[in-house]
Amino acid sequence: MNVLELQSVSKSFWIPDEHRNTVREHLFAAFRPRPLRELRVLESVSLTLRRGEALGLMGANGSGKSTLLKILCGIYVPDAGRVVTHAPVTPILELGIGWNPELDAVDNVYLIGTLMGLSLAELRRDVDEILDFAELRPFARMHLKHYSSGMAARLAYAVAFRAVRDVLILDEILAVGDAGFKQRCEERYRQLRARGHSTIIVSHDPRIISTFCDRALLLERGRFVMDGPAPEVAATYLAHLTRVERTE
Amino acid sequence: MTQPLLPVADEPAASAVVGARGQDASPRVAWAALAWTLVRTDFKARYHGTFSGFAWALLKPAGIFLVLMVVFSFIFPDPTYKLQLIVGLFLWDFFAESTKTGLASLHAKAFLFKKMRVPLWVLVLASIANPLITLAVFSVVIVGFLSLAGAPPSPQGLALFLVYCAALTLLVAGFSLAASVLFLRYRDLNQVWDVMAQAGFFVAPIIYPLGIVPERLHFYFYLWPPTPIIEFSRAALVSHTVPSLIGHVYLALEVIAAVTIGVLVMRRYGPRAAEYV
Repeated sequence: MNVLELQSVSKSFWIPDEHRNTVREHLFAAFRPRPLRELRVLESVSLTLRRGEALGLMGANGSGKSTLLKILCGIYVPDAGRVVTHAPVTPILELGIGWNPELDAVDNVYLIGTLMGLSLAELRRDVDEILDFAELRPFARMHLKHYSSGMAARLAYAVAFRAVRDVLILDEILAVGDAGFKQRCEERYRQLRARGHSTIIVSHDPRIISTFCDRALLLERGRFVMDGPAPEVAATYLAHLTRVERTE
Repeated sequence: MTQPLLPVADEPAASAVVGARGQDASPRVAWAALAWTLVRTDFKARYHGTFSGFAWALLKPAGIFLVLMVVFSFIFPDPTYKLQLIVGLFLWDFFAESTKTGLASLHAKAFLFKKMRVPLWVLVLASIANPLITLAVFSVVIVGFLSLAGAPPSPQGLALFLVYCAALTLLVAGFSLAASVLFLRYRDLNQVWDVMAQAGFFVAPIIYPLGIVPERLHFYFYLWPPTPIIEFSRAALVSHTVPSLIGHVYLALEVIAAVTIGVLVMRRYGPRAAEYV
């Protein structure tokens, strides 16, 4: 059974030659044409994620991975095509979650936790364990603006791992933290898989895709160019990268 | 010592909405819990989590009231002027503060909806909560002030005042829904609104009684939404009269128009908000 489907999704961004971001700029240039350049990021992309499946997503920088993930998570709206979800999606994009730097870790956990669908009762019960998982209990009352990027990312993983109800989307999984934290993340990830959760993992690391995914897709200039067993796609991506480096 | 593994989530939520183009891919969020958390964390961030911080923030409107009362009491010797002024000024303070906060609400919370699907309307409406708390405190102050001045409002007057406060909140909500999402595209909208609000302070009969304006112009003054709210509140609390039915109809139309425009603009531009931050 599919839990998530993308059907012929396309997405473009229209880049103006001249930026107009204010009322003043719009008023003073109301009668001056503003040429727009189309930046096609995704072109008729389709994918399916089955229940319990771990899908890897690989592609060079600028291939459209981030936009694809944002469409999957409902952050961006596709220009064409359909996104069909049969299960709630919990994302960690671009190595983190949006934190309020003026709040401490506990309040941020409450804020993001409720956004991810946790109830206040669940948060009250589990906030200490979330902080322990991130190894941040001693810094629980420190404002996030004083956290390092690694600490913030660890907290993001801890909240998302706790909040996930069905589909988990991880952008650059295990790219943060020390060996101990990575090991706990891997253990938690396997635990989720064993419970039947579906996951999408985006990574440049062939080892991660081969180890943690059943199937993988290779994205190139907004199109899928390969869909197959994770180790094969990872090997192709690696070979492609090596070829590009030699050419350069 | 082994580090803990997290407890697993409770039973998976029922299937999310099946949809196309901008479907609900997020977990089923309990809006009430989210709104409460937003209000609580906003309060903490604004007032450092203390009631003394909150009380400190009340000093500004209270100080303005004192200054205006001292200055304009000489110009307008009406014995009820002080009472009229306090009602008008505190309602205006809520209007100015909440529209300013509401306009900037999505920009201020962009860190949330850039990386997760978030119901934008909850972010916008929650941002009005803190000015609303201030209005509630001021309402108690107003009633206390009127009682001390020997003119306590009647129960009917208080009920009407609550209705007008609700109407003002709806007006602000409609404005904020539209302005917050437009502010992501027009980054000087806050400056434009600042100028408009400053002019609006003098259009609304806050420091002067509307009676000094020729009656044939009153209709135009009433088109500025804070005017009917302030005038009607004064009638209910200070003059102990009930404004006309036609006045209430106009006010209701203004509220309906503001909310409708707010919802329509949010529905039109909200789905692509994340692309503009």
